[in-house]
Amino acid sequence: MTQAKKILATGISEAEAIERAKAGDSESFEALYGLHKRRVYSLCLRMTGNTAEAEDLTQEAFLQLYRKIATFRGESAFSTWLHRLAVNVVLMHLRKKGLPEISLDEAMEPQQEDGPKKDIGARDNVLAGSIDRVNLERAIESLPPGYRIIFVLHDIEGYEHNEIAEMMGCSIGNSKSQLHKARMKLRDLLKISRAEKAVKH
Amino acid sequence: MKCAEFQRALPYIIDGGGTAEEQEHLRSCNICADLVQDLRYIAEQAKLLVPMEDPSPRVWNGISKTLEREGLVKPAPARRGLLGPQRQSWGFLAPLAAVSALAVGLYIYNGSNRAEQTTTAQQSGEQPAMAQVADDSAQDDQQVLELVAQHQPSMRQTYEQNLKSVNAYIRDAKASLQQNPDDNEAKEYLMQAYEQKAMLYQMAARSGE
Repeated sequence: MTQAKKILATGISEAEAIERAKAGDSESFEALYGLHKRRVYSLCLRMTGNTAEAEDLTQEAFLQLYRKIATFRGESAFSTWLHRLAVNVVLMHLRKKGLPEISLDEAMEPQQEDGPKKDIGARDNVLAGSIDRVNLERAIESLPPGYRIIFVLHDIEGYEHNEIAEMMGCSIGNSKSQLHKARMKLRDLLKISRAEKAVKH
Repeated sequence: MKCAEFQRALPYIIDGGGTAEEQEHLRSCNICADLVQDLRYIAEQAKLLVPMEDPSPRVWNGISKTLEREGLVKPAPARRGLLGPQRQSWGFLAPLAAVSALAVGLYIYNGSNRAEQTTTAQQSGEQPAMAQVADDSAQDDQQVLELVAQHQPSMRQTYEQNLKSVNAYIRDAKASLQQNPDDNEAKEYLMQAYEQKAMLYQMAARSGE
């Protein structure tokens, strides 16, 4: 949708809107906001799980963008630049709130919940083909904050573990371990949801 | 290799790699193979999630006030409206966007009587309103893709993927509502999905101008 989105409602391209915004054109600011608000807000909402916080962080992300827009040189895509900025705004906010620490010890020591899975009749219970997006979104909302952040950054937003490690101030191994736990938790939630639906019918 | 050992290593090898012993365990153990299949499937489905929600208007209000206060914007000239000059050439696609919004209204506000009406209508041979809209929707999607192929051929695949994704959201939300007509979250997803679809139609229409 990249090129299509670049033809904004006002008929100018995104690149032109950026240049006009650098010059202080208010309509261009608004056009850029309209183009990117959904993705930024969705990111903030998925990472925080709270509507009011997500809106505040969306506002802050765009304000930081506009304050820095004069420095945008086009080396990367504008959306990539904005996206990274939004992620940093959210992480900064979560750190101030007391972001769940990712402990190296936690990652290295096996825990009870990490015991081998020996599902009886597992061959009949695989998830493939049975996940719908509404239930997946709900399950993600239910994840503990630390798991949710890593899952959103890696599996939804596409950041690599080395990038996440740098952003979160943890090791790549910790990032992989937390992601695994997030996926395992989602697996459990989705299976419970599927079982509940089966009981109703 | 036992399952416990394999599953301890799994976080670090699931996206590729692993020793020969780990690969062999994966090939020979149904339980661990199913586990890996599930986890990879979850990751794949997550990639397909699209941003679905817009922030409330207060967000932009806050931004614009701050921008003015900080002197980052010049005072706006007399506005023609956010969308600029009214464009009259959306052609046949604008009514389709309206039909989508109407379908949302019909679907949501028919509430718990929907399943009963659908069953009764089907028994009497009539086609329920939503099923008719669904049939028309597939044809409309095809027309949109043909329009894009004509005017922006390089974007056809992108439009097709986006339509496929938003239709999947619509389908999933409808399925949730079939099971629980009072599911407000599913109603919201459905509304947002239709809005997104209407936006795709509008953008395709503009590509033909």
